[in-house]
Amino acid sequence: MKILIADDSRVMRQIVTRTLRQAGFDGHDLVEAADGQEAHDKAQSEQPDLVISDWNMPEMTGIEVLRKLRAAGNQVKFGFVTSECTEEMKSAAESAGSAFFIVKPFTAEQFDEVFSPILG
Amino acid sequence: MSVETVVTEDDLAEMVEQVWASYLDPEGVNPLIPTGDDKQTTEVHSTVSITGTWHGHLVYASSTQAARKAAAAFLAMEVEEVGQEDISDVLGELANIVGGNVKAMLPAGCFLSLPTVVMAPDTASYYPAAERISGLWGVWDGEPISISMWQSVKQGETA
Repeated sequence: MKILIADDSRVMRQIVTRTLRQAGFDGHDLVEAADGQEAHDKAQSEQPDLVISDWNMPEMTGIEVLRKLRAAGNQVKFGFVTSECTEEMKSAAESAGSAFFIVKPFTAEQFDEVFSPILG
Repeated sequence: MSVETVVTEDDLAEMVEQVWASYLDPEGVNPLIPTGDDKQTTEVHSTVSITGTWHGHLVYASSTQAARKAAAAFLAMEVEEVGQEDISDVLGELANIVGGNVKAMLPAGCFLSLPTVVMAPDTASYYPAAERISGLWGVWDGEPISISMWQSVKQGETA
């Protein structure tokens, strides 16, 4: 599977990558985006099977990326890994079609739980 | 509304404990130990601002060595390999993670800024319209670390 990891923090992109590996999801094709615009563009051009996105990013927030993709008819499986977690954000994410919502700091066990049904 | 009743020092300690358990001390052998020592000095710091229904800042500060060790742990590198950019990125992420968790405890309708990192002691940054309302001082592997919350004075007066 091809996975797009969108986060403006290089550190967090590395941690997401490492945690995926620790959770046993090796061998997937990983693509990175460093801001919301890049995430949107790569979600279209790279055609990933899964997008793991931060919420708060320069250029475009994660939720804006998701809404724009859905408005364009792109139904890629999309979810958030973010340090911010409020009921309003969770609800906005769900309404926009988000498949998951993981809060930082996270563990490999949480990744396993969320991504096993998606990545197998 | 005073945030002291919403995000206490204990709440901050719990968030920090989660960060340590996830990234900085997954084995549970080297935790951040609260000391309450407000005389301790730091050398680098990072800040995220919170605006909306609550106005203020979350500040993460530490010694350079603690920041270097944190970067090594976050990036799975040796401490000697850590560069300035690594330290800066990790400091920003630490403020972002704790700030995001703080935001979740504040009244609905708050916004979190992207982090600002300053390679200087936290006393180098003044928040002219804010005062320190909560926080903790501690030691990690012998190195000083502090996490503090600063609330807009104007908002505090009208609360």
